[in-house]
Formats: sequence, structure tokens, C-alpha cells
Amino acid sequence: MSAAEPGLTVALVGNPNTGKSTLFNALTGLRQRVGNYPGVTVARKSGQCDCGDGLKVELIDLPGLYSLSAASPDEQVVIDALSGHLADDRRPDAVVVVIDATNLLRNLFLASQLSELGLPVVLVLNQADVAAEQGVKIDAGLLSRRLGGVPVVLTSAWKGEGIAAVRRAIAEALRLRIRMPAVEWPALVEEALADVSAGVASDLGQTPSRADVERLLFDSTTSVGQRLGWEAARRDAVIRAARDKVRRAGYNPLAAEPLIHYERLRKLLEGVVQGGGNRTGASAAVDQVLLHRIFGPIVFTGIMLGMFASVFWLAKFPMQWLSSGADWLKAVVAPHLDGMPMLQSLVTDGMIGGVGAFLAFLPQILILFLFVGILEDSGYMARAAFIMDRLFSWCGLNGKSFVPMLSGFACAIPGLLSTRTIEDPKARLATAFAVPFMSCSARFPIYALMCSAFILPKYGAGWESVVMVGMHCVGLLFAVPTAFVLTRFVLKVKPQPFVLELPRYQMPKPRDVLWRMWQNAAEFVSKAGTVIFAITIIVWALTYFPRDPAVAQRVRAQSADAPAEVVSARIQAAYIEQSWMGRFGKSVQPIFDPCGFDWKITVGVLASFPAREVIVSTLGVTYSVGEGAKADSAHLRDKMLEAEWTEGPRRGTPIFSLAAVLALMVFFALCSQCGPTVATLAQETGGWKWAVISFVYMTALAWIMAVVVYQVVLRLV
Amino acid sequence: MIFETFLIYGIIGVAAGWLGFRWASAWRRRKEGGCAGGCGCASKIQPKK
Repeated sequence: MSAAEPGLTVALVGNPNTGKSTLFNALTGLRQRVGNYPGVTVARKSGQCDCGDGLKVELIDLPGLYSLSAASPDEQVVIDALSGHLADDRRPDAVVVVIDATNLLRNLFLASQLSELGLPVVLVLNQADVAAEQGVKIDAGLLSRRLGGVPVVLTSAWKGEGIAAVRRAIAEALRLRIRMPAVEWPALVEEALADVSAGVASDLGQTPSRADVERLLFDSTTSVGQRLGWEAARRDAVIRAARDKVRRAGYNPLAAEPLIHYERLRKLLEGVVQGGGNRTGASAAVDQVLLHRIFGPIVFTGIMLGMFASVFWLAKFPMQWLSSGADWLKAVVAPHLDGMPMLQSLVTDGMIGGVGAFLAFLPQILILFLFVGILEDSGYMARAAFIMDRLFSWCGLNGKSFVPMLSGFACAIPGLLSTRTIEDPKARLATAFAVPFMSCSARFPIYALMCSAFILPKYGAGWESVVMVGMHCVGLLFAVPTAFVLTRFVLKVKPQPFVLELPRYQMPKPRDVLWRMWQNAAEFVSKAGTVIFAITIIVWALTYFPRDPAVAQRVRAQSADAPAEVVSARIQAAYIEQSWMGRFGKSVQPIFDPCGFDWKITVGVLASFPAREVIVSTLGVTYSVGEGAKADSAHLRDKMLEAEWTEGPRRGTPIFSLAAVLALMVFFALCSQCGPTVATLAQETGGWKWAVISFVYMTALAWIMAVVVYQVVLRLV
Repeated sequence: MIFETFLIYGIIGVAAGWLGFRWASAWRRRKEGGCAGGCGCASKIQPKK
């Protein structure tokens, strides 16, 4: 193998929760590219792996799967990728199969199936340290010899042990092209496979791969027939006859494959694995409490409350530093633009004020993702999905729905994409409809702004955390009944079993957690620097223009006896009111009046429909236009606290009352305010029908609930 | 004043144009079967027919 040989790709496959991603990170370092397989799977992660002696390969991390019997779209992509049936993505040159060393037999089933693909294979027995702790002794050399010399490497990716050996093994597999011996089928099964192969050859004039033939014979849901273009009636006849032969061999055709593979694997592992009586140990003991019918949900609620309280507490000082930084920048920039008041306002009020207000939430977002990463990597998130499933399975959502819904708490888009793991199309649609209700991180800044400005000063840190957790639950409370109606009465989804593997508890690896936190931070900052920045400029312009000097003259004439500061404030207020945004906001405000929103909040709400985070920067602009360098974030909060109704029956009362603040947060918790989410929903549901229904339903629900909250709280408090 | 006005309208024009271009690109990506999710992914990998 020449070191200069270009374009070598190696696929990383394995069961879920085998430490595949940790191994991928260890092999590629930070040289990774993350994208999507549009229309195919959740994510396509690839990176460069240095295998020594100048040999560099592209390592592709494929989604986890248990077998080659694809039940869901994301499993199908793994099979398509490994067999070279993805357009623009050629077949890999070798496969690294990651196996949980504590559960060799079950994990080797996938490797045994993969042997039919005829690709060079490396077996990585990961979590070898945990297996050793459990008293499991593995003779990797013996296993390698029994598999015809396939490299078998014991690793602990978490501890970084065995990584160099994996690199060497990849190089060896590519150089020697060592393939894993295929399973020996009983004679009648072998005949059945030959019949299917002959059927394809005679009908289509092409010899199918062995892997395709096995899928056709053993899987009832395979899409191989459609891919090959084999006519359905003829295909069914050939496969039915072949399956009869499998029956004559004494096997159920749809169960024959695992039975025969496991028979082979049991023999293969004789003498390879020794010991290991105490497999579950500490994890099982902890689960007795964390998955308890009563204590489980209590601990879950406690963890969530603790997480949000910590987010506020830890982020307090970094947020102050960021705000001070923005204020310092304004103070530095403003004097240089003294001769150009319009440009000064754009730079200080618009650019620095708007983007600064948004960026101030970066520490909270970072700390939130840090905690989410720790919960995921420790193994608790899977338990959370289990607890949620038990609490909400009555509503008809597939158990698998909770993983996309949990993803939706970070961002609805990956949540929507991960609905592809759900086999039943109706259950997938119901889940996709529920995912945008989850409180994504884009809602966080508005909750944080409202809580820190209005809840914390009046009701204390305890209530601040309660309101934050409550707002994160509001979406879930409405998603569940919505899903119930949708699954029971509209889509009529049949109940499906939920199988979830609970990973072992483990200490999260700091590098992996910090890397994911960094990726999220980079996305947040890039959004602040691009979309939010551009929208802020537009909002500033709409709030600043037209700037008719006659307005100022009129206000001065009416306020002849008032002090200069009061006159200046009145002039700014008059300018904002007669601006394009002011006029538009005032004309639309009657719709939002029952929610307690004035025209400035209305403007923020309307500007947030493309992306809901825009509300904070919009409020930052509308409440600070004309204030120049004075407009720091504390100033924004003060301005909001001072804001009063100037007309109507509420004249003289605060606009940001408790009722209005809660109504605004509930509106943002429920409203469909994200262009990419609506587009992705359309993409995932195969048309605009459900995307439009979701948008109208969520927006109407948000408005109704905001009205209810405002009117009820107004009367109670 | 003229320079300032020219600069301001230039900045606003660039911001609006860039937003419009971005949204149009996302729309086109989605029409082509790609991802419109704003994740910046450039992959165009689809199953072979």
C-alpha cells in the first residue's frame, strides 16, 4: 500500500452505545466535518485518520445499528453506504466494527453479517477496561486466528488506550485486505440463496451481491428489490419458493439468519471469553433508584431544576463581563462618530446594542450545553427517555419519539431529522409534529431576559428556576395532548413496542463534552455574526427612519418649559412612534393587545418569525434607539421596567407586568417562529401540508394561551 | 451628510441583500433535496435510484 494512494475511506460501524463516537473522536482528533445525508440519515461525520507511515484515510462515522435488517431510514443509509449504493459516496475500502467488549456475542452479530459484504474488517473490542473490571477475560489473539487473521484490537477509547493499535490495524487491513470469513449456511439455506440469486440474474440480467441476496431472502421489509428494479410479483414468487426451502431446513425464514449467525458465534467465542458473571453491577443498583416509578421522575425533576439554577448562577459573571465589553465598545466607538449621528446610532444602538444583547446569553447557552453533554455522556439521557416514555406513552407516541423530542430541546432541526429512526411513517409524522413544541435553545434568551429582569428581582432565584423549568415544560404539556389527538383520531397510529438499550453509567470524557459545547457555541456566535447582525441592521433602519426634522420641532414647541433631558426623551419617543416599524407595530398591535403586548413587543414578535432569537436584539434596538453609548444591557432592562402604557384603560401601568411577561414567554414557548424548522418539517413530511398545519396550529395556540395567561394572571395578581 | 447617507443605505442594502440571498439559497437547496436547516451542510448524498 503506497502512502501516496489517494482517497481511501474507512467506515466506522457498530451497535449504538459502544463508544463509537468516542473512538471516532480519538482517531480523528478535531479534524472532523459534520454534515447531513439529506433525505437519508441524521448526520454524516467524517474526519481524517492518520494510520502511520504517511497513510491518511477518511474515516466515516455511520449511525449505530444492531443488524443489517434495516427497519428505519437511518439504518438503511448505513447499509447503502457500506454496499456503495449512495450517490456521490463510493464504497468504503475497509470497515472498522466497534464492539462492546462486555457484550461480545450480541455485538458480533453485526460483524458476522458484515462479513458478507466482502470488505476488509478490523474488529475493535471497545470498553475493554470495563470488561476487565467485570472479570471478563478476552483472548483477542485467539479470536483473530479463528476469524482468519482479521485484526482484533482491545481498546478503551474513553481512556485513550489502544488507539495507536487501531491505527496500525486499519493500515494492516488495508494493506493485506483481510476479510472476515462468511457464515456457512446449511445446505438447503444455501440452495435458497442460490435460487434468489438466479432469479435476479435471469430477470434483470445482473448478478446481485451476496449481501443483497441475503436481505431479499431474510428480510420482509428490505428495499433491495425496489433498488434493483425487480418486478414485485415475480420477486415475491421467487422469494416465496426460496423461503419454503429454508422452512424445509427447519428454520423460520425470517428468524433463520440470526439463529444461524448466533450458532456460529457461540462456537467462535468458545475459549475466547472467560468469566464475567457480574455484568450489570453498579449500573443496575443506581437504576433501582433513577428508574424507580416514583423516585425516577422526582430525581429527573430535581436534576432539571438544579441544572437551570446552576446555569443562571454560573453564567452570572461571564454575562456581566460580556455586557461590560459591549458597553466599553460603545463608549470607545461613539466619540469617533460624533459628527455623524445617524451612523453613530446604527453602530451603537443597532449593531453593538442588538448583537450585544443577543451575545450576552452565550455563557448561559454554553453552560446549558455543558450540562446536557454531561448528562448524555454519563448515560443519564437514555434513562430520561425511559422515564418520559413511561410518563407519556399513553398519548400514543412511539417510544422512539422521545429521543427526537429530547434532541428538540437543543434544536428542532436535528430533532426532526432524527425522527427518521422511527419505522412507522405515521408515528414518524406525529413525532415530527410534536418536536417543534420542545423548548429549543433559541427560546432560551427570551426566557432568560424576562426572568432576570422581572422574575428574579421580585420573586428571587428559586422562582426564577421554577419559571425556567416551567417554560421548558410548557411545550411538552401541549405536545402530548396534541400527539394524543393526532395519533388516536387523525393518523390512527398502531401502538409499537419501545426497545431502548440503557448504556452503562460512565464518567463523561471532558474533551468530548467540551468539543460539543464548542460546536454549539460556534454555531451561536456565527448566527450572531450573520443572521442576527443583518436582521438587527434592518430592524434599526425600520425603527430609525423616516427622520423628519419637523417632528423634533413640533415636540420642542409643545415642551417649551420642560428640562432639556425630558425634551430629548420626548423627541426620541416621537421619532420611534412615527418610524416605519412604529407605524407597522401600532397597526398590528390590536391583534396582540389581549396578550398584553404593546407595539414595541409586537414589533419584536413579528420580527422573530424567521428566527425567534431576534426578539432580544429587536427589543435591544427598539428600547435603545437614540440612547447611543448609554444603552447598555442593564439600561435595556431599566427601560423595559420603566415602560408604561401611555393610552387606554391601562394608561400609567407597567407594560412588563408579571402577566405580560408570562404571556410573552408562553407565546414564545408555543409559537412556530423558525423558518428553517418549518422548511425542514416540509422536507421530512414530504410536502407543505403538515408544515403549514403545524405553523398555523402552533401560532394560533400560542396566541390563545398568551391571552389566557395574561388575562388570568392580570386578574389574580 | 451625503457620505453618511450613502454609507447607511449601503449597509442596509448589503444586509437586506445578503438575507434575501441566504433565504433564496436555502429554498433552492431544499428544492434540490438538500438540507434547508441552516446547518451549512453541503452534502448532496442521496440514494441511487
